[in-house]
Amino acid sequence: MKRIEVKAETPGSVIRHEVSPGDTVSEDDPILTIESMKMEIPISAPVDGRVVEILVAPGDAVATGQTVAVIEA
Amino acid sequence: MPFEREIAEHARRREKALAMGSKRKLEEFAAAGLLNARQRIAFLLDEGSFQEVGLFAVSERPEDRDRSPCDGVVTGYGRIDGREVGVVAYDFTTLGASSAPVASLKFQHVRKTTIARGIPMVILGEAGGARIPDVMGARGIARTRSHQVYDRRRQTPWVTAILGQSYGSPSWKAAMSDFVLMRKGAVLAVSSPKVTAVAISEEVDPEDLGGWRLRTEVTGEVDQAYATDQEVLLAIRRFLSYMPSNANEPPPRAPVPPGSGEGMERILEIVPEQRERVYDVRRVIDVIVDRDSFFPIKERFAKVLTCGLARIDGRTVGIIASNPIFKGGALDPQACRKATSFVVLCDSFNIPLVFLTDTPGFLVGVEGERLGLAGHIMNFNHALEMATVPKLAVIMRKSYGQAYINMGGTADEIAAWYSADVSFMDSAAAVNVLHGVRRQTDPERFEALRSELARDTSAYDLAAGFLAQDVIDPRETRAWLIRMLAVHENRVSGGVGRHYMATWPYNF
Repeated sequence: MKRIEVKAETPGSVIRHEVSPGDTVSEDDPILTIESMKMEIPISAPVDGRVVEILVAPGDAVATGQTVAVIEA
Repeated sequence: MPFEREIAEHARRREKALAMGSKRKLEEFAAAGLLNARQRIAFLLDEGSFQEVGLFAVSERPEDRDRSPCDGVVTGYGRIDGREVGVVAYDFTTLGASSAPVASLKFQHVRKTTIARGIPMVILGEAGGARIPDVMGARGIARTRSHQVYDRRRQTPWVTAILGQSYGSPSWKAAMSDFVLMRKGAVLAVSSPKVTAVAISEEVDPEDLGGWRLRTEVTGEVDQAYATDQEVLLAIRRFLSYMPSNANEPPPRAPVPPGSGEGMERILEIVPEQRERVYDVRRVIDVIVDRDSFFPIKERFAKVLTCGLARIDGRTVGIIASNPIFKGGALDPQACRKATSFVVLCDSFNIPLVFLTDTPGFLVGVEGERLGLAGHIMNFNHALEMATVPKLAVIMRKSYGQAYINMGGTADEIAAWYSADVSFMDSAAAVNVLHGVRRQTDPERFEALRSELARDTSAYDLAAGFLAQDVIDPRETRAWLIRMLAVHENRVSGGVGRHYMATWPYNF
């Protein structure tokens, strides 16, 4: 098992979580949605795996490269 | 029987060469479920079409003559869907397919023929690097120089597949090819982990050094990766089905599969009416193009921009589409690099370009600037200006700022969907920039200023100035493209462009 950090690719603010810790996700499944550049943009799983934790809450600001969730793959 | 001795000797020599190198390595290949060089060629080409050159070639070093069948590289010609190609397959079981002078002559022979006769070149790469001791010493290394290899002018398509460990020679070929594939588990790098570990005194994981994820996602040097040799070889056949045999002919036309265009009605459900909602543009492409004809290029690299070959009404097209599901479709330096190399590929082989635009602009910021964003934007623009293939653009929703020019603003025909919004920037962002007013702090004033800035940004405003040639319903997109591709067929030159970028680099 490898811990994979899910990182934000654009800065923005978190609108909502799309999955919960413990959920199984496939590559490209949205983990959470942020608002950035006037759009609702998903941050998606880079690999198949299980969500271990989500590190940001709705309303939080995220920066480019910030780790927002951890997946076990 | 006349010539009895010669016949037996001929058969013996032929059999020995066809048996390739080390038995143990051949068994390891089979046990791992991999194809060897000759099996790869047989799987790639139309059955029975392989015409080998150099079966009896061996190393020039007397001590290696008996253990270097074909000098480690199987070369020749064959057919793919009835069309001739040149093929070079590195045989890893023979001295690790290490590069050596006779092998190099064989490569140059096939290369020369493919250019002179106008047929594609396919390279099946896997090699441990240069052969030692052949390349050692001043004479050894200096003799490896070859204008025959590095002078490429895109006269015919080059495809390289990396099917195992690849250091040195096949890695250079991949870096000079129009289309590059990789088997997952293969490694593409300049030098082996062993050499690297010695050079930098650090153990290196081969996947970190040149695994498929690095090459397809981070550097973009590999266009597609597959789990098996067979899938890679089928993808080569598929890539070539879109391509002309050489730059002097138009791409072949294919029959239109039944059911093409049937999904056009669904397009209104795929693209959200609210501009702040995103979607995956690959679903839009799938309904517009001939059924199942979309073939993505660098799909895992710079995902904000989807590029790929497809057919519309049986004609090959190159699609450049914003993909809002990734970073909202904002263009970063990597996306510009990807677009530039794709424009060069399409223009060099007479493939019309189709833009599907929905971008908030360039992804400005420190990261982009550190990577030289302006230079990458201008390379992309420069490529579009040099291109002489027909360019058609469909503005789906947003097209803002300088990115308007990159994403179809220079096209021969522009159609805007009635949902298009075209301006210097998003009106809400403009309120922030020009007036320093935010929606949260003063909603009333914000809305007033926003509606003022949102004036004259519609599809009809663009068409009123004849800056778009039509405003269409999204469901009419396929029909519009079919008609415009027919109108813009390059009759004057028989479908062949000027190829001003034939000598442009392969990596940007």
